[in-house]
Amino acid sequence: MSTATTRVGRRGRRTGAPYAFLAPAVILFVLFIIVPIGYAGYLSLRKVRVSGLGLGRGARTEIFAGLENYRAAIGDPELWSGGLRVLGYGALLVPTMLGLALLFALLLDRPRARFGRFARTSIFLPYAVPAIIASLLWGFLYLPATSPVNDVAAWLGLPEPDLLGEGSVFFAVVNIALWGGVGFNMIVLYTALRAIPPELYESARLDGCSEVQIALRIKIPLLLPALVMTTVFSMIATLQVFVEPLALSPLSNSISSTWTPLMKVYRDAFDTNDPYAAAATSVLIAAITLVLSFGFLRLVQNRAFGQER
Amino acid sequence: MVTGSLVTAAPTGEAAHGDSGGGRPTGPLWSRLVPTVVLLIGAVYCLLPVLWVVVASTKSGSTLFTSFTFAPGDSLVTNLTDLSTYGDGLFWRWMLNTALYAGVGAALSAMVSGLSGYTLAKFRFAGRSVVFNVLLAGVLVPGITLAVPQYLLLAKVGLTDTYWSVLLPSIVSPYGIYLARIYAAAAVPDSVIEAARVDGAGELGIFRRVALPMMVPGLITVFLFQFVAIWNNFLLPFIMLADDDKFPVTLGLYTLLNQGSTTPALYRLVITGSLLSIIPLVALFLSMQRYWRIDLLSGSVKA
Amino acid sequence: MTRSLGGKILTLALTVSLVAACTSTSDEPEEPTGPVELSFWSWAPNIEKVVDRWNADNPEMKVTLSKQAGGADMVTKLLTAAKAGNPPDLAQVEYQALPTLVSNDVLADIAGQANPVKDRFAEGTWQQVTLGTDAVYAIPQDAAPMMLYYRTDLFERFGLTVPKTWDEFAQTARTLRGRTTKHWLTTFSATDPGWFAGLTQQAGAAWWGIEGESWRVTVNDAATKKVADYWGGLVAEGVVDGKPMYTPEWNKALNDGTLLAWPSAVWAPGVLAGNAPDTKGRWAMAPLPQWTAGENRTGNWGGSSTGVTAASKHRTAAVKFATWLNTDPTATSLLVREAAVYPAARDAQTGPALAEPPAFLANQADFYPLTKQIAETAAGVTWGPNVNVTYQVYQDEFARAISQQTPFSAAVDAMQTATVDDMRKNGFAIAG
Repeated sequence: MSTATTRVGRRGRRTGAPYAFLAPAVILFVLFIIVPIGYAGYLSLRKVRVSGLGLGRGARTEIFAGLENYRAAIGDPELWSGGLRVLGYGALLVPTMLGLALLFALLLDRPRARFGRFARTSIFLPYAVPAIIASLLWGFLYLPATSPVNDVAAWLGLPEPDLLGEGSVFFAVVNIALWGGVGFNMIVLYTALRAIPPELYESARLDGCSEVQIALRIKIPLLLPALVMTTVFSMIATLQVFVEPLALSPLSNSISSTWTPLMKVYRDAFDTNDPYAAAATSVLIAAITLVLSFGFLRLVQNRAFGQER
Repeated sequence: MVTGSLVTAAPTGEAAHGDSGGGRPTGPLWSRLVPTVVLLIGAVYCLLPVLWVVVASTKSGSTLFTSFTFAPGDSLVTNLTDLSTYGDGLFWRWMLNTALYAGVGAALSAMVSGLSGYTLAKFRFAGRSVVFNVLLAGVLVPGITLAVPQYLLLAKVGLTDTYWSVLLPSIVSPYGIYLARIYAAAAVPDSVIEAARVDGAGELGIFRRVALPMMVPGLITVFLFQFVAIWNNFLLPFIMLADDDKFPVTLGLYTLLNQGSTTPALYRLVITGSLLSIIPLVALFLSMQRYWRIDLLSGSVKA
Repeated sequence: MTRSLGGKILTLALTVSLVAACTSTSDEPEEPTGPVELSFWSWAPNIEKVVDRWNADNPEMKVTLSKQAGGADMVTKLLTAAKAGNPPDLAQVEYQALPTLVSNDVLADIAGQANPVKDRFAEGTWQQVTLGTDAVYAIPQDAAPMMLYYRTDLFERFGLTVPKTWDEFAQTARTLRGRTTKHWLTTFSATDPGWFAGLTQQAGAAWWGIEGESWRVTVNDAATKKVADYWGGLVAEGVVDGKPMYTPEWNKALNDGTLLAWPSAVWAPGVLAGNAPDTKGRWAMAPLPQWTAGENRTGNWGGSSTGVTAASKHRTAAVKFATWLNTDPTATSLLVREAAVYPAARDAQTGPALAEPPAFLANQADFYPLTKQIAETAAGVTWGPNVNVTYQVYQDEFARAISQQTPFSAAVDAMQTATVDDMRKNGFAIAG
């Protein structure tokens, strides 16, 4: 990659080109992301006013609510406990997922790794399974009556676990995300490993370093930038956890409708018909993630595009 | 779950790499066995649920719940027939719809991302970093928070319950643009662009005839990536579509499961349908494996 | 620079699309003459066959069906579609969702056209579509009186008799658990608020009522608490399971006989046949156990109606179809045969389509005559304008009560508080 980008932008006849080229993306982005966000902001300041019984025509009007919806959202302890749950979820999932992804990537990168192609494809495969189907499928494997785990436990004479019980359901959700996410991150890290020139290992091997030492002392330090990026993207994804617990909740008494903040948004918008509360919670979540995102954007700028400056 | 990807252009020779430095007959047996065993355990962990779908789709409505989890049944053909005839072949319609949403959506997305990524990587212009930052911040916005406003806005222009309502919001992909930018920076040398300019080529012509061919492998990855994302998306069509003729397969299977308390959940059909819906993606993975080289920061490692 | 360019294009895009979307919804829809097309949302299985029949006979009023996911999902979509101004002309609506939809101005008052068919329905059923007012918001489609389904073979094997009262039911549950640890008499499901609502109706609960111009809300009335604590006691005692219904696990329990009985509704044979086909012929139906010996009461679990939306431009035609669908003998017998619904129309309940018992309970010859008797004893009910909120809280609170073993009546109190709070917040007038 060249460090000296041509300053084409300075030329008069060309100044329009970048804007024209970006127009499709920008227009779509504005139409389908910015405008809806603005509309959500508008909705979050509105509420419904019903008169009397609320039956019949015109009994329901939409009025300005001020910050009432925000007060309700901020004052809802369920929202915050859901938020904490998601943080705990991320704190467990991200290191486990990336640790396994790193381990598998390093093992695949060993010289003469056996079953490498098979393992790589197998581990990547869950990425192809939609989250809603993955949750259905794991649901079957979790439910005590249909779970093979319980069959095995019964066969061994062990007490049968309740994988969807109060204490374990958290891990059940983590496992689904882990299953779906390890492969993708493994591929990212493996790609980065493949880009390391093999000559770097040669001298180490000649010095008698074992493969483990090479992995620890050479490969992992070189992988660090890629690890940071996968961590950041994984964290963003975990903050948005929603489909898996939503799909599992009818199977278990342990997942409430506000288990994560986004589930609360879903409940307000789709179950209890309060799009205004949903909008306020959304804006709140967006504001919090936006604050977090400043760090994220700086990181991306520095890590990925540092050389372009 | 996690996403974001870009191809490394540089084909780091697979064969050369695989055997590189393999001169050393490695030490004790365990040091050769353990890695293989660990990889196989990982593979089994990832394959078991898939295997379960395969096995379960061979079971009848009652053996699904009565026989041992991994004991195959003999009803695969019945299940396939029942699924195919459900609602006069509705399932296959859903598969076609999904192929349409994912195929067309991902192709458009790759094109838009490619053009944007190239522009962001190769042009200097006022507002470049603002545009990029705002586009990238899009990954931080969960789809669910946009769902209701998107629906209400599209309804205002009469587009809900149309193919467009699912296609249009799927085209712009912050990840795709991010990847395309990295890829353009790595794969298209400035000197080539400059030479074309000296020859008097227009900017669009340079993109189409010079940059685009160099970016093809990367854009294929963006395409694959977005294809999977759209294929797996459930929420957007769930909100936008009313007519089951337009459903993608995820939504269709969901409705088979949730028809209300008065109707039995059609687990048997849902499981068989899930299996069938995964197969095209698996085929895509296997056939396009060389494009699944996802590099989040191409160039920096090599530098 | 970018902004101004993007802004222009955005404005252009919006203008173009607004022009394309001049489908305003006027307050009083005009009735165009000539052929019309009606859109219809429903989730009833095979209802397309009934619709096809109508279309064959009425080419000038073509009905286009959109199959939907189950009732609750569809209410949300209807509300959103109506808010956006493009709902279908007709929609299948569960009774308890009617006030929500009426309150959101989704459904049209069709009293003028619909009143003539009033006498075709039982009074309690008709009350559910008028909400106790002079308006009519839908044509009743199916009734869903609750009864008890039980496994005859397993009752025999464990030496159980069919309980006639809830006391006997509790005793039966205990006896069974004393003889086996593998089976349960039944399960209490925290995921099915409609089921619990039906059980409380039987005990005389009235969650909502209308007093003049305001609502009376008593979700935690004595009858409801009695039912809640009864089940809470059985779950705490360990003689009734506390797992949700409609899960793969529940399916398995129906298949392998883990569950011996299911308090359900008239549509249960269809669900059992779909979920546990191999248990065909081993089930029987009896009236729901009673709170007082000798009484004859039941509640409803589910049941739905056909509503016409306020935004429909073809209201006359739409009502015509809704009326035909639910009262015409051809239509109702098709509904019975194809969609497996128990018709709300009285004469259809004794129609030829219901002469035979459901195939799944083929050995119970008196199934439909008994059902009709039970249906007559169903308690009337007034639903409130935010049943969805009440139901949502039911799911969270009862799930919590089961997994943390807290009293069920506290969960009922939480339902009451949440329901009232939500209504107050929205400005509904509440008495007391």
